Amino acid sequence: MERFDGITLEILWSNLIATVTEQARALQRIAFSPIVREAGDLATALFDRRGRMVAQAVTGTPGHINSLGMAGQHFVKAFPPDTLSPGDVLITNDPWLSAGHFFDITVMTPVFRGGRCIGFFGSTIHHTDIGGYGVGAGARDVHEEGLWIPLAKLYEAGRPNALLHDIIRRNVRTPEHVAGDLAAQVAAGRVGAERLNTLCDRQGLDDIEALSAAVLERSEQATRESIRKLRAGTFQGASVFDVPGGQKITLRCAVTVDPAAGEMTIDFAGSSPEAPIGINVVLNYTAAYANFAVRACLDPDLPNNWGSLRPVKVVAPEGCIVNCRYPAPVNARHVVGMYVPFPVLKALHQVMPDRVVAEGSGAVWTIQIQGRDEEGRPFTSSMFNYSGGMGARRDKPGLDATCYPTGVAAVPVEVLEAAMPIEFTRKELRPGSGGAGRQRGGDGQVIGYRMRTRDPWLLNVVASRTEVGPEGLEGGAPGQAGRFLVNGKPVNEARKMLMQPQDDVLMETPGGGGYGPA
Amino acid sequence: MGETPALRGHALAVDIGGTFTDVVLRAPDGRSVTDKTLTTHRNLLDGFFRAVDLALDRAGIAPAAVDDVTVHATTLVTNAVIERRGPPTALVTTKGFRDVLRIRNEHRYDMFDPQIEYPDPLVPPELTFALDERVLADGRIARPVDAGEAAALARDLAARGVQAVALCLLNAYRNGANEAAAREAMRRAAPALHIALSSEVSPQIREYPRASTTVMNAYTQPVVAPYLAALSAELSRRGFPNRPLIMLSNGGVVGTQVAGTFPVRMIESGPAAGALAATHFSELLGADRLLSFDMGGTTAKACLILDRKPLVAGEFEVDRRYRFKPGSGFPITIPSVDMIEIGAGGGSIARIDNLGLLKVGPRSAGSEPGPVCYGRGGTEPTVTDADVVLGLLDADRFLGGDMQLDGAGAEAAFARLGDRLGVDAVTAARGVFEVVCENMAGAARAHATDRGLDWRGLPMLAFGGAGPVHACRVAELLDCAQVIFPPMASVLSAFGTLVSPVRLDLVRSALDTLDTLDWDAARALIAGMAAEGRAALAEAGVAEAGATFSLGVDCRYRGQQNEVTAEIPMAVAEAGDAVALRAAFEAAYEALYGIRLPDVAVEVVTWRLAARGPIPAAPPPPLPGGAAAAPRTHRRVAVEPAAPEVPVYDRAALAVGQRIAGPAIIEERETTLVILRGWTAQVHASGAVIAERG
Repeated sequence: MERFDGITLEILWSNLIATVTEQARALQRIAFSPIVREAGDLATALFDRRGRMVAQAVTGTPGHINSLGMAGQHFVKAFPPDTLSPGDVLITNDPWLSAGHFFDITVMTPVFRGGRCIGFFGSTIHHTDIGGYGVGAGARDVHEEGLWIPLAKLYEAGRPNALLHDIIRRNVRTPEHVAGDLAAQVAAGRVGAERLNTLCDRQGLDDIEALSAAVLERSEQATRESIRKLRAGTFQGASVFDVPGGQKITLRCAVTVDPAAGEMTIDFAGSSPEAPIGINVVLNYTAAYANFAVRACLDPDLPNNWGSLRPVKVVAPEGCIVNCRYPAPVNARHVVGMYVPFPVLKALHQVMPDRVVAEGSGAVWTIQIQGRDEEGRPFTSSMFNYSGGMGARRDKPGLDATCYPTGVAAVPVEVLEAAMPIEFTRKELRPGSGGAGRQRGGDGQVIGYRMRTRDPWLLNVVASRTEVGPEGLEGGAPGQAGRFLVNGKPVNEARKMLMQPQDDVLMETPGGGGYGPA
Repeated sequence: MGETPALRGHALAVDIGGTFTDVVLRAPDGRSVTDKTLTTHRNLLDGFFRAVDLALDRAGIAPAAVDDVTVHATTLVTNAVIERRGPPTALVTTKGFRDVLRIRNEHRYDMFDPQIEYPDPLVPPELTFALDERVLADGRIARPVDAGEAAALARDLAARGVQAVALCLLNAYRNGANEAAAREAMRRAAPALHIALSSEVSPQIREYPRASTTVMNAYTQPVVAPYLAALSAELSRRGFPNRPLIMLSNGGVVGTQVAGTFPVRMIESGPAAGALAATHFSELLGADRLLSFDMGGTTAKACLILDRKPLVAGEFEVDRRYRFKPGSGFPITIPSVDMIEIGAGGGSIARIDNLGLLKVGPRSAGSEPGPVCYGRGGTEPTVTDADVVLGLLDADRFLGGDMQLDGAGAEAAFARLGDRLGVDAVTAARGVFEVVCENMAGAARAHATDRGLDWRGLPMLAFGGAGPVHACRVAELLDCAQVIFPPMASVLSAFGTLVSPVRLDLVRSALDTLDTLDWDAARALIAGMAAEGRAALAEAGVAEAGATFSLGVDCRYRGQQNEVTAEIPMAVAEAGDAVALRAAFEAAYEALYGIRLPDVAVEVVTWRLAARGPIPAAPPPPLPGGAAAAPRTHRRVAVEPAAPEVPVYDRAALAVGQRIAGPAIIEERETTLVILRGWTAQVHASGAVIAERG
């Protein structure tokens, strides 16, 4: 079946990746959503006509990329390619079918060549608003969290679906930003489709069927080969951390390595049940982060597509916090989702000790502020975030003030001070917060701020690991837990807080765990 | 654009690169003497004057005859950073923010690789200090500098042996008064300290890149200032009539005073000069747009020339430490020629990855051990080896025959590689040629698309040792129909400094909403930048009448964080015309991203002013006409599977106007021009060989 040698395939494949990467970079630069541009909290990918992800952009967060990959299957089931017309554009933000919360909207653009749909160009980005509760974990069920867009057509044969556009505009707080970002996704899809057609012209291809088959086959085989080099067995890992409101969450997994088949199964049985606040994770998103951890250990250079994802199965009992059911609230699913890699890495530590990372601060701390400036004018900040320390590696220390698994950039102090009446008092490393060890964990940081205002203001902080610090590996010391203080007193609150004009906030983010005895 | 001044006499250019120091001495009639000598890393000026002496001897003139400019580009600053050769340097920040260099922007530049690293900051933690002062975001001073505290710190620094200090206080981009006050107090207490202020080096919002830039300036100043002083003194002692001009990374030259104060602006001056040479050819050939393509031993660089000017970007990175990855170096926010550099050069190593795919680079065999065919112990096949196997390079005439290549060794290496792909050595070599050309074309496409530009059909200027070998194929992949092979290709950067205008780029941030913009404040900022620019032009000898100023404004839609630069006429600022500024921003935004957002407010973030002198004249050298040269020989070239016999010409023997149909090879000492089938080359009166397709 395969008619591509290693030279031709390299050229075609690198061109496919360039096509989707180009669109991802353009989306990242123009997005209104700060988390998209600073953290690359987006994904773009190319799918074949069977909805299999063939190539993904090299930018993006693991949660989005792999969730988008799974969404492709749902789109082609609901909209078989031969029923589509040129100019159609598809959309959804269904948490269970795509990236796990309403903020992430996925747009799929069918690619036509010679009148036939040969594949799809897809993108997922985190939007500025989706109505409902807004940023944070405080909603009691998923319906309080905002607008639910089912699998639908955003454009039909080039004409906008006016009703759907109107529904979206009326149900979000920042309609011009959401419309702007959706327009950018549609434009990216159109350009991506053009690029794919140009590539087919240049290389004399009628469709990408054979190319897709070759790419997926080689990717799957390479992943299986890398698993075949590992020791057989079932390895356990667990990670315990606390979330806003003080609840302690346990994520437990059993990683079964089957070198004969070249397969791996990750089972999250034994993890905590669904939580009453919006930190629950859909299985798509859990699988995305679990796969991410596996791939980083097997070989970071392995491609990421439908073929390479196939040999790794991720399962979790229904109703647990990493496979939540409707109508569990999921808004701040990253708070738990970003810890998913740690139990997996601890299990893999028993097989590949040189590749793993010790536990770190996990999820970034996010902040949003609403209030009035000194002249009484109202403002709402965009969401901003700060990292704790990263866990140590076997041969290198953990990075200071750097988050793993995401690695979200922070908005500069000067940019925030110019944009709203905030005054920072400190932003420094927190010495000694990283766990000691042969390799020490990265330090967290101390961030202090107050508002220049005469009015009460609202503070929404999603902090985690304020009680249980990250564990070390192989006898490395744990990192220090974080601290969240208002006027010097510890706070543990999942909901928005009403603050007084003179209040002082201090946030001390956790350090990372050490590796090996000091 | 100002008037082009008449040529005066001899002009001299010296470009010190990592390996070679190149010199060009141009006579009033346009004839040039060029030479190169090994760079003398212990004392760069030894190599500088050795190269100058070689050129003067060959031209038979004395220093006094060099009465036009003496221009200099150097890798000194980059090397000082990469080799950490700066003196003990301290950073002083606002109290509460001293770890700015270690916190960076908290970003992990490669999400998927858990092993990433960052370079150690140029200032160690124990030399980072803070002052109890505060400037607010609107420029108000909440706490002035305590002169006693600053003086005590200065004495402490001097006692610790610190020579240079970077002062980077919060919000100093908006009001530099606290930084200036701190410098005053510190200078009085410790007069020997070199002190760099962030409000002077890079007054732009965002504390980490500003601190990084200021620190690099402070760190290199004690190295560069004495170097430039010694250079000026030695030139003067030897009887050169003019003070030297120094090439900056923005593609302009300035006097030694400005260069010595802001050495961070000299980083990447050599490659910038190469881009200016490309600008010269775009002017000469009447091509408004051009893609310059420079492929050397370890990397390839591409740069876009638009409207006969190189694109200039506001930020780049120095010292990428981890697998050359973007994000792994120090951010530097100074205007510089916008270039993409990828790990694809003659020394790039080919390998089969664990998916069975043929990959080329970014790992390079460098010059030691070098490609297999160098016979210095290299065993892994490289791009240069592929070129030898394919017959593109003549193993007996490399560097004019000074270096014998091991063709059999290269072939054996490719036979081994081919075995793993199931193909013969020549097919594997052809695969490497194709893949490396695809890599470069892909990088050029991404670079252009990121800037909202259509890459299709741009003429290409090819230089560097490996550039002319691969240019026609890369051009085909970019739908380009014209490739220009300039003369003096091996010393093109030195030549480029001679056609670079005097130019200084200035930047000031002042975040404001366009609808309610304080135009008086904006005009004051612009006037301040113009005064600084005018002084720099005057130092470099540009008459007031020859100076031009152009204005750019970095804007964004409110809610976004990335700015787009809109070029506006000075009159728009003078009139305070918000409608015209919005229109210019939206046009630039639409060109980049394909959409406009009429409902969203626009914010102004940063003002940019470029002060320029006239572009120096550079007449083409007189070339002999005469009879068309015949091929020197023929050889088999296997870029095409049929491997036909191809004529081989000596470039030096070609007559102006001579046409050569591809496939053909044109050899010169330091490179080889490969003219593929379907292309026709012609010798232009400028000495350039121009190949056209179809």
